Amino acid sequence: MSTAHPTPETLTPPVFSVDGLWKVFGPKADRVPADPELTALAPAELRARTGCTAAVRDVSFDVRKGEVFVVMGLSGSGKSTLVRCLTRLIEPTAGTIAIDGEDVRAMDKARLRELRRHRAAMVFQHFGLLPHRTVLDNVAYGLEIQGMGRAERRAKAAEVVAKVGLEGMEQRRPGQLSGGQQQRVGLARALAVDPEVLLFDEPFSALDPLIRRDMQEEVVRLHREEGRTMVFITHDLSEALKLGDRIALMRDGRIVQLGTPEEIVGSPADDYVREFVRDVPREQVMTVRAAMRAASVEEAGSGPAVSPRATVAEAIEAVARSGGPARVMDGPRCLGVVDHEGLLDVVAGVAPARRDEVAAGDGDDARADAVPGAGEDVRADATAGGRADGVGDGRVTGAARVDAVASRRRGPAKRPDASPHPEAV
Amino acid sequence: MATITATPARTLPALLRNRAAAKLAALALVALVLVPLAHARWASGTWPDALTVDLSGPLTDTSDWIIDNRDSHPLFLYFFGHVSNAVVLCVRAVYLALLAAGWAGVTALCAFVAWRAAGVRLALGTAAAFLACGLLGMWVPTMQTLALMAVAVLASVAVGALLGLAAGLSDRLDRMLRPVLDTMQVLPAFAYLLPVVLVFGIGVPAAVLATVVYAAPPMARLTALGLRGADRGVLEAVESLGATSRQRLLTARIPLARKELLLGVNQTIMMALSMAVIASVIGAGGLGDRVYQALASVDVGAALAAGIPIVLLAVVLDRVTGAAGSGAPGAGAASTGRRAWPFALGAAVAVAVAGRLTGRTDWPDAWTVNIAEPVNRAVDWMTGHLYTGVPVIGGTADWAGRFTTWVLDPLRDGLQWLPWWSVLLVVAALAWLIGTWRTTLTAVLAMAAIGVLGVWEPSLDTLSQVLAAVAVTLVLGVATGVAAARSDRVERLLRPVLDVCQTMPQFVYLIPVVALAGVGRAPAVAAAVVYALPAVVRITAQGLRQVDPAALESARSLGATSGQQLRQVQLPLARRSLLLAVNQGVVLVLAVVIIGGLVGGGALGYDVVFGLAQGDLATGLVAGAAIVCLGLMLDRVTQPTDRRTAKGA
Repeated sequence: MSTAHPTPETLTPPVFSVDGLWKVFGPKADRVPADPELTALAPAELRARTGCTAAVRDVSFDVRKGEVFVVMGLSGSGKSTLVRCLTRLIEPTAGTIAIDGEDVRAMDKARLRELRRHRAAMVFQHFGLLPHRTVLDNVAYGLEIQGMGRAERRAKAAEVVAKVGLEGMEQRRPGQLSGGQQQRVGLARALAVDPEVLLFDEPFSALDPLIRRDMQEEVVRLHREEGRTMVFITHDLSEALKLGDRIALMRDGRIVQLGTPEEIVGSPADDYVREFVRDVPREQVMTVRAAMRAASVEEAGSGPAVSPRATVAEAIEAVARSGGPARVMDGPRCLGVVDHEGLLDVVAGVAPARRDEVAAGDGDDARADAVPGAGEDVRADATAGGRADGVGDGRVTGAARVDAVASRRRGPAKRPDASPHPEAV
Repeated sequence: MATITATPARTLPALLRNRAAAKLAALALVALVLVPLAHARWASGTWPDALTVDLSGPLTDTSDWIIDNRDSHPLFLYFFGHVSNAVVLCVRAVYLALLAAGWAGVTALCAFVAWRAAGVRLALGTAAAFLACGLLGMWVPTMQTLALMAVAVLASVAVGALLGLAAGLSDRLDRMLRPVLDTMQVLPAFAYLLPVVLVFGIGVPAAVLATVVYAAPPMARLTALGLRGADRGVLEAVESLGATSRQRLLTARIPLARKELLLGVNQTIMMALSMAVIASVIGAGGLGDRVYQALASVDVGAALAAGIPIVLLAVVLDRVTGAAGSGAPGAGAASTGRRAWPFALGAAVAVAVAGRLTGRTDWPDAWTVNIAEPVNRAVDWMTGHLYTGVPVIGGTADWAGRFTTWVLDPLRDGLQWLPWWSVLLVVAALAWLIGTWRTTLTAVLAMAAIGVLGVWEPSLDTLSQVLAAVAVTLVLGVATGVAAARSDRVERLLRPVLDVCQTMPQFVYLIPVVALAGVGRAPAVAAAVVYALPAVVRITAQGLRQVDPAALESARSLGATSGQQLRQVQLPLARRSLLLAVNQGVVLVLAVVIIGGLVGGGALGYDVVFGLAQGDLATGLVAGAAIVCLGLMLDRVTQPTDRRTAKGA
């Protein structure tokens, strides 16, 4: 997450810049994006009228250098088609794609091959390994395609195999490996060509939950070590929240919301997104900024300190330990304080509207979404059983409740890329 | 359909909603218009003369022209002549090489190849098989057949792989080739003989080319299938890494299709052997020729002495190539395997040289065992004791006679008595009920073409034999298949038998039936039944076993008896397999019924043989064309379409 790599948002040009992208399957697909009447149709109507299916509808986004950009959506939302359009494995119907400012759609065959060979490598859901080759030769395959000599590519492949933790398995065949190991080979194959961008197409969906977590941590580790730009497709919200610096949430081929995990969870753009995120443990995603209020003079001088990027869960722990409000410290500067009430409000999902100093980018959206009617939904949904009454009967029991929540949250694993422990800041 | 006749109260629209009834109704409507017309103009039981085209004149002219110009026309001088010479040269070279290696060398070489490809057991089996060939006094014919096969298989694999590659890479070519290859696979081997004889005359080139034409289609089909069936995910991954289309083909598509390619080689070898044996009719020489000659003089002992090596060759070739295809003996042997090859070859050469030095290149006469006489004595004894007059059960010849009188004759007479248009109608109705209007049209046109060719009567004769054989095959085959599907023990017992039966060339089946029942139509039918039975049993058993276990379990949980399970769950769900079994049964039966012309089956098969023997190519070619039409018709009538089964599922 952005904790490890603060993204200088405006300085470097985006790695991928996608604008008004359409992919329509079906007869005479070209006419659909061009015709405003057709573009306005719902998917079912479009199919009835033209026999075409629009898998990607007018999608625009930038992928910034060094970030993990997650495209998330249910099956059929067009996310896999979208990622294939980036390197034209699927030919887009309309719109522009640029990589480092170069128009991908205008590339000729040779240039496109060059792009696939050196600049963007992909990891697939079903691995796509060559069953007749050893692990080492599979990893070296991309280099072989580039025309690299046998000894050199094998040496390089051996390095990458070690990097993904497959030492000793170089001579096995993919059929002799477990699913997780196979995906490590797929990952190594993509890494071996040292691409500028890694594209992941639901890489861990076919894996068991425990293995999936291992692999997610592997990706986080790789990203922390190398800072490579990644585009990550997933249908798993928790995976998206865990890995993504920014998340684009897709539905029926459109992006319905694009933002940081905190924005998606904290201020869903519409009911669809809200429904999507309603079971998310908010305290694990939201940062303390969402719960912060201005500090009085005496508060600013004492109390435990937490980083502004710390999650609410971490702040709850700090507050519960000390019994008083915690200071949000950005270096020597005190940005504000968080106390029981503020933290509880975030957990309950009623927080953002009240606080003007919310640091999240889309302040407007956040406020618009927290209108009372919607707020009640969120409260009922986001607070599980017992916690709801803690909010309901207000401030008196607040402290006890926070204690309870904090002790419960102390055990579980933190996000692997979590910021340093609050006290350490 | 049964329910429809049982409930006459249904209204017409309701009837039309039933697909089968609607089809029949439409057909009846067409018939209502066309039949009176046809009947009024050409009222006769058999195909009307007015509608036949006599091709014998032009065909005789063509064949005469070819014979006259074979040595002078540029087409023959510069193309067919070269092809023919090259084939003769290759076969001769391989044959001489095999003879030069001597029996010890050939046996050692084959055993070592089998060892590397398939393990020790098959190597021993291979050596034993070759020694058995020598022991039976058939070493030289075996080498002749092997030489012919080697050339034909190489050519078939090359041609098939190229065609398959083209069809695998180009959608348009695939669409063009697929129906042709599909059709070629259902045609009886006999149909291929005459066209090549027309061009090349009787002899080795014709035999090799007929074999190539017959054996290349499976290679082409399987190559295309393998290339097209490659895992899409892998191909996408390869493309995402920036592979050129050449790299994609060489590093991904072809290696991924390895299994299909090796299966293709296996099938090509088996079909080539089958055809190389049948091609003895057009001068192939070798083992097939020995069988052919022996059958012609009803010398069962000699036929068996040549037939056993054929079976041994078939089993060895099938097992060795099959084992090579299914992924080598030990999984870890890949690296040691490469080092062992030179060693194995060296050993084989050493044995060959040793054989030469000791002057033992030819199989020593003293080592042969003449089985012909004892076999013939046994056959004579059978003729004397089992043929006829066995109390209560009668004899084999009695059975054959009764089968001919009670089944074949009425069936043939009935078919020939039927007005010609009604035969067409029955064909149309059956084809449409099982397939689509496309298959119906092909079937009807094929049947009509038979009439136009002027061989309506003999074709119906052949058809009657096919129908009788198919009926027997299906009754026996489905019953055995059901038994095999329900009992593991039966299946274990049957499997080796079926394995061997399915690898044997069609020709070989004629030997035992001639021994048991003499010559005539009934033995031809019996051979056809025996030949087609294994495939039907296997497909039926497989289909029944593949029925969704969940469906069976739910039926069991509702308390269905095993009979109810079979009737109400297994058989309906295995419908597709059963239809396939019928289709395969029909195709295989036809192939052997035609060959039955050699043992008195008469009809179309006899016409072909007669044409070949008398040099009357016109008769043979017309009969060959009729066989093609009959094969097409029978295949299309029994061919369930994918679309329909998809709907039914």
